[in-house]
Amino acid sequence: MIEKGISVIKVHDVLMVTMPADPDDSTISALQEKVLDAMERYGARGLVLDISAVDIVDSFFARTLAETTRMVALLGGCTVIAGMRPSVAITTTQLGLSLGGAMTALDVDRALDLVGDTA
Amino acid sequence: MEAEGQVPIRSESDIVEVRRKAREEAGRAGFGITDVTRIVTAASELARNVFLYAGSGVMKWRRLGSDGGDTGLELVFIDEGPGISDTEQAMQPGYSTSGGLGLGLPGARRLLDELEIESVPGGGTRVTGRKWLTRMAARRT
Repeated sequence: MIEKGISVIKVHDVLMVTMPADPDDSTISALQEKVLDAMERYGARGLVLDISAVDIVDSFFARTLAETTRMVALLGGCTVIAGMRPSVAITTTQLGLSLGGAMTALDVDRALDLVGDTA
Repeated sequence: MEAEGQVPIRSESDIVEVRRKAREEAGRAGFGITDVTRIVTAASELARNVFLYAGSGVMKWRRLGSDGGDTGLELVFIDEGPGISDTEQAMQPGYSTSGGLGLGLPGARRLLDELEIESVPGGGTRVTGRKWLTRMAARRT
């Protein structure tokens, strides 16, 4: 199995992560560590997670997103989840999932605006 | 085009394969994007349960119905793991023996139209989920 790496990039003082369409569990778990590492290294003040390519969010994915959001908050940052598809919004709500206090935005542009506003 | 098949669940990456197959078959069965997402999400929860609690198992899928009647998709998750001692409790949101969120089974039931659990402690578990595509819904899409 080839692990699809996820890159964490820094734009000014915000971290940007684009999730692949169908990440496996280990890719999702690895993301958490990468993000926290990058938060410290770059002194970032926020994280924008672009999930516009993501087909489904199940309970494992949602729990990891919620945990990551709380950990980023402990490092003084805010998390914005951007671009959730309508079908994913319907399904995660029906499943009873919550994203642990992450802010949400329709797309990455609006997500970056949100991080700017909370500075 | 096959009307049934199966996907083995032996590793974490097989959960991705289960999702891929569930998406393909739900699409072929004629479900719209929201129902496809519901089916794939439920399949992901149930496949993870198999891997987490039993270590390995299989997802069998089958197209339901025939010409003129309601059609749908059936997904059966079979393992030979420790089984579930109290299936009613396992269906309660928030109940988990693995430290998870406890949303897998109750969530899958909400996302599908039917969910049946057969389990014998020590004798494995069989979870059968079905989603129906009515002829009305088929005409809409």
